[in-house]
Amino acid sequence: MTATLADLRPVYVAGIGFHRYQFLSDTPYVDLGLTAVRAALADAGLAWLAVESAYFAKALLPMAPGRAMLRHLGASGLPIVHVENASASGSAAFRHACIEVAAGIADISLVVGVDKPMPVGRAESLARIGSLADDAIAPFTHFALLADAYAHRTGATVEDIALVAVKNHLNGSKNPLAQHQKVRSLDEILGGKKIAGAFTSLQCTPVGEGAAAVIVASEEGLRRHGIGLDRAVRVASSAGRSQRVYDDATRYDAMLTQETAAIALAEARVSPGELDVVELHDAFTVEEVEYVEAMGLCPDGQAVPRLKDGEFAIGGRCAVSPSGGLIAMGHPIGPTGVGQIAEVTRQLRGEAGDRQQPNARTGLAHMVGVGAVCYVHVLQAP
Amino acid sequence: MATPPLLKPDLYRAEGAAGVANHPALLGGVCAACGYVFFPLQRYGCERCGGLDLAPRDLSGAGALLAAARVHLHAGKTRQAPFTVGAVALDDGPVVRALIEDGGDVPHPGERMTTALAPCVDAEGAPRLDLRFVREA
Repeated sequence: MTATLADLRPVYVAGIGFHRYQFLSDTPYVDLGLTAVRAALADAGLAWLAVESAYFAKALLPMAPGRAMLRHLGASGLPIVHVENASASGSAAFRHACIEVAAGIADISLVVGVDKPMPVGRAESLARIGSLADDAIAPFTHFALLADAYAHRTGATVEDIALVAVKNHLNGSKNPLAQHQKVRSLDEILGGKKIAGAFTSLQCTPVGEGAAAVIVASEEGLRRHGIGLDRAVRVASSAGRSQRVYDDATRYDAMLTQETAAIALAEARVSPGELDVVELHDAFTVEEVEYVEAMGLCPDGQAVPRLKDGEFAIGGRCAVSPSGGLIAMGHPIGPTGVGQIAEVTRQLRGEAGDRQQPNARTGLAHMVGVGAVCYVHVLQAP
Repeated sequence: MATPPLLKPDLYRAEGAAGVANHPALLGGVCAACGYVFFPLQRYGCERCGGLDLAPRDLSGAGALLAAARVHLHAGKTRQAPFTVGAVALDDGPVVRALIEDGGDVPHPGERMTTALAPCVDAEGAPRLDLRFVREA
C-alpha cells in the first residue's frame, strides 16, 4: 500500500524569497542564490541553523554548486541534494522536500533554485538514435507547431493566441521581480521580431538568470521555533509524471499535463473550478491555452473565448500566471518551479499587492520539462 | 554527374516502400510483442511495452500534415533561416517532424504530404541528398 502526500503529516510553505529574474549579468550565482535564501529565511522568521536539509535545483550550472553557495550561511553540515529535471528542476526539488518533511525525516527543509544561462547539451542526443531534423526544431519551433495545430483544431487565430502575452505582460508589469515589467499592446506583441510560425519574441519566454527559495516545514518544526501557522500555506498534494506513448503524439505536453493535474487535484480533493490562482509553464503563448484546457479550467477549445472574457485575468474566475508567468516573469530554469510555488504562496497569503487575486484560497503550480516530465502541486490558504 | 550519397542513410533510403515505390522510404521498426510501429529503427527496447524483439519496418513516407511553421530565427550554423518544418502523421502510424520543401508557401494541417530527396551539403561541405516532405502531387 502506497501513500500520497495527503496521507502523511501536513506540510507547509513557511517562507519565500527571490533574487529578481533578469538578463545575464556579471552577478555570481552565489549572490543570486544567497539573496533568495536569506529572504526566504527572513520571511519565515527562521535562522539558518533551523534548516535540516536543502534541495538545490539547477539545470545549467555545473556539477554540485550547492555547498559552494550555502556554506556562506554557515556550514552547518546539513544534507544537500542537487536536483536537475530540465525546466521542472525546481518543481521536482520542491516535491522531494515536501516528501521528506511529510515523512517526518526533517521538520524544516530549504528548496532553492539558481541558474545562469550557459551552453548545455541534451542527453537525448547521446542515445545515437537519429532524427530527420531535430537540429532545426528549437523549443520555440516545437511550440510553434503546436500553435498551428491548436489554431487548426479550434479555429483560434494568431491574434487570439497572442492575447495570452498581452495578459501576462500586464501581470509582469505589476511584479518587481519579473524580468519583463512593461505593459505591451497586442499590436506591439504581433509586430515584434518574428521567431517561428505565429510567434514573435514577446510571445516567448526570455532567457535569463535569477533565484527563488522556499522553506518547507512541518507544524511541529514551526512551533518548535515559536512560529504559528497564520502565514503558512498548506501543500495539499504533489504529483509527478513522465511522458507515455499517447494516441496524439504531437500533444504530449498537454496529455502529460492532463494526467498529472488530474492526479494532483484528486489527491487534494479539489475540482478545477475551485482553483483561484494557477501558475503554469507558459514558456510560449500557446501553452497557456493548451494547459488550461488540459487541467479542466475550461472545456476543450474554450480557452480563447474564456481568455477574452477575462476569466484568467487577475480578478477573473481564476488568475492564470499572475506573476507574469514564464513569458514576463521569466524562466531562468532551475528557479522557475520554486518561484511558482512562492508566487502561489504569496497569493494565498493575500500579500500580492497590485497583482492580488481577490479571495484566493486554492492555487496550483504546474511545470513541464523536456524529457518530458511534469509536476503539479496544489496549495491551500492558511 | 553522379548522384550524391544520402545525408542520413540510417533513417531513409532513395527507393520507396512496397506500394509507394516512387518516394523515399523511411526506415522504421515494429515491435513483435505489441505491434507498435515507430521511427526511426532502434534496438534499445519498445517505447510502448519494453519488448526487445524489434524488427525493421519500411514506412511509405506518405501522410497528412498535422502542423507546419516557418522558422525565421535559427541559431545553428548548419542551417540558414528561413525554412519550414512540419509534423506529419504517416499513414503507417508514426508522427515525424522534418523539413518541408514549400518555397515559402507553408502548407496547412490536413494537406497530404510525401517524401522527396533534396540536395544539401554535409558538415564538411560535400554534396548530399537529404529527406524533405513535399505536397503530394
